Amino acid sequence: MTHNGTLKRMWKYRFAYAFISPFYILFLIFGLFPILWSFYLTFHNWNGLSPMRWVGLQNYQALLRDSTFHEALRNTIIYWIVDVVFILSLALIFASLLHNNWLKGRKVYRVVLFLPYVTATVAIGLVFNMVFDYNSGLINSILTSLGLNRVPWLNSTEFSKVPVMILNIWRVMPWYMLIMFSGLLAINPEYYEAATVDGANPIQKLFYITIPSLAPILFFCFLTETIESFRIFTEPYILTGGGPGASSLSIVLYLYQNGFMIFKMGYASTIAYALTFILLVISAGQIILLRKQSNLIEES
Amino acid sequence: MSATLSSNVEARVRVSQTRRLHPDRLLVHLILLFWCLISIFPLLWMMGVSLKPVTEPIGGLGSMIPQRVTLTNFERVSTLMPLARNTLNSLIVATFGTLTTVFLCALGGFAFAKYNFPGKNFLFYLLIATMLIPPEAGIVPTFMIMRGLGWINNYLSLIVPRAATAIGIFYMRQYISSFPNEVMEQARLDGCSEFRIFWNMVLPVVFPALAAWATLAFIARWNDFMYPLLFMTSKNMFTLMVAISKLPVSESLSTPWPIIMAGSVIAVFPLILIYLLMQRFQVSGLQLGAVKG
Repeated sequence: MTHNGTLKRMWKYRFAYAFISPFYILFLIFGLFPILWSFYLTFHNWNGLSPMRWVGLQNYQALLRDSTFHEALRNTIIYWIVDVVFILSLALIFASLLHNNWLKGRKVYRVVLFLPYVTATVAIGLVFNMVFDYNSGLINSILTSLGLNRVPWLNSTEFSKVPVMILNIWRVMPWYMLIMFSGLLAINPEYYEAATVDGANPIQKLFYITIPSLAPILFFCFLTETIESFRIFTEPYILTGGGPGASSLSIVLYLYQNGFMIFKMGYASTIAYALTFILLVISAGQIILLRKQSNLIEES
Repeated sequence: MSATLSSNVEARVRVSQTRRLHPDRLLVHLILLFWCLISIFPLLWMMGVSLKPVTEPIGGLGSMIPQRVTLTNFERVSTLMPLARNTLNSLIVATFGTLTTVFLCALGGFAFAKYNFPGKNFLFYLLIATMLIPPEAGIVPTFMIMRGLGWINNYLSLIVPRAATAIGIFYMRQYISSFPNEVMEQARLDGCSEFRIFWNMVLPVVFPALAAWATLAFIARWNDFMYPLLFMTSKNMFTLMVAISKLPVSESLSTPWPIIMAGSVIAVFPLILIYLLMQRFQVSGLQLGAVKG
């Protein structure tokens, strides 16, 4: 009876299913299907042309022993932490500065500050290749004119991650600035007026009004930037190619090299699964943490 | 008496403070100006170097300003890559990618916002959950699928797979949910089909959101790198980003930087122009109540 009712309602709303179907169809073909196939590939060695060879868990075992993968994982975690800290705090600072309603020319500021996000990572990566060059780069020529030593930014294991991170922070920060700025516009301005009357300084306003009001947006930004920074690829590809050695290699760049440069497709799929697993664990952790916190708030 | 006097004085002090540029406010302007400079510096550098003859030295800050302005680098870059064709490829991919994604995301967002069909919550959570899976998870088989479909060196490989995105549907749903139900009810009584309601009534109203989303989608498609790098293997099918990434950069003084910067200028500045034309939609469109939940 109720079952019949559900079917009837489904028939009534058939157009709504049609409206949302493109996403699910595309996800089946270009999302789910490759992911499952990828899982199957992790148990095989395959160069993409000759027949696949079953190897059981060997790819997983190799991954656990692979010191290059370990280094790529370590680098990616460093990229993640540094990028998230700098991107989100700079974004919050600049969104708050732009939110000052006495600010003249805020629209111009907003447009100019957003420009890095509009520019292509590849193109700015080429500029960074020039600017961070050891011999003729701008940064080193400034350092030498200050009487300091040249720094081998792009070709030393100590420094090669730095330009990669700067490029990522520079380009991505404006995106989160814009999201946070549009979130700030939704906060009731009376809160800030009341705080001003009570003599609160800007720092207090930031911690007692802005951050609590923006909490859901900040969480969203944290979650999406975590996923994005684990997927970092273009920056190290253009700037260092992952080198020298594996000092700036990221997980996805290592995946690309294995799958599409030396055609170890089974192993590349195993790397992809490791990345997915790590991200799901981190996302689940973050969501559970958020649940707990919001429960605490509701209880109190 | 003394109370009114002191408040009077306070008021006068406040007025004078707002008239002069308050030191705090000056500081805010300085910080913003500093970051504006950081934001546009690579663009100025790119522009400056692209106008230099290849023979001029590159080093300090001064090398941004060409001693002799020349446009030959823009001609020479087209000898290194099929520039016109690459630009056309980028335009085609970004334009059709944007049109499909805006239309399908708005349509999907509309259905999620306005109808209570069975399984809606489940389907919506499923949509959100797909955002947590990195697209790289299936990248190797995706390449195989593209090869199987004959979509290597074909625009479809860059347009179709992301024609409807979870995040786009999510945004559009937030925005369209504020569209009044009564208007839809009235239209239904007048005999409008649900698609007509969407096409003739909802789309015009949510135009700012569409424009904002279209701008972001266009930026993402134009700047996209990994997928075109994988799926476009012939020089004539490269997008601009892939083409400039293959220009001869080497760790030596022989790299023809002005020519490479000319390529970068061509890859970057059209998009900046489009962004400047479209930016008036940006905040109004993104205000979306965007990330409510």
